[in-house]
Amino acid sequence: MLSLERIPDQIGHLVLTEDGAVLTVSGGELENDERFANIIIGLVTLTNKIDPKAFPNNEAFDKISITYPDHCYIICLSNKKIHIVKKRLLSLTSATVEQPLIDV
Amino acid sequence: MEKNLEKTLDDINNTEGIIGCILADHAGLCLGAKGNASTDSAGIIAAIADQVTKLEPKSPPPVISLQNDSRKCLIQRQGAVVGAIYKDISM
Repeated sequence: MLSLERIPDQIGHLVLTEDGAVLTVSGGELENDERFANIIIGLVTLTNKIDPKAFPNNEAFDKISITYPDHCYIICLSNKKIHIVKKRLLSLTSATVEQPLIDV
Repeated sequence: MEKNLEKTLDDINNTEGIIGCILADHAGLCLGAKGNASTDSAGIIAAIADQVTKLEPKSPPPVISLQNDSRKCLIQRQGAVVGAIYKDISM
């Protein structure tokens, strides 16, 4: 099995079953985070039926991402499991702010 | 007052790759919908935005992206309004 730990810039990972049980695969900032797991299960349940007009044929979503300015969560549904990775993001705004500091 | 809202929705909907857009208020009631978006989904979009806010209540509202093989749905809360944009990514 491909290790979630090897993903570049990951700072936490978690694998859940569809009923919300945390599997033994968890680490980093998300290690055994049950509060987080419960929120994600609620979110995945909500996304099951979003808009029948725009998303016909019951095509379920298999990838969800939640993007904050400096980090993001990527949620993938595969093989009846929910894989979650928290990644650090290099934001463009912080890069431009840092630029003058280097010159000084 | 709704003119600005209607114009914004029209502008979004006329952008390439976008197949629909919808705005909902804090209670999940539909403020407007354009293109291939049904007004019924306003509630669920607001509920998704609320659910994600629970992850990090102190952080600014994140962009939520839901994706399958051909379509993408982007959701973000901006103050009391939640907006969703539907995109076709199969092209």
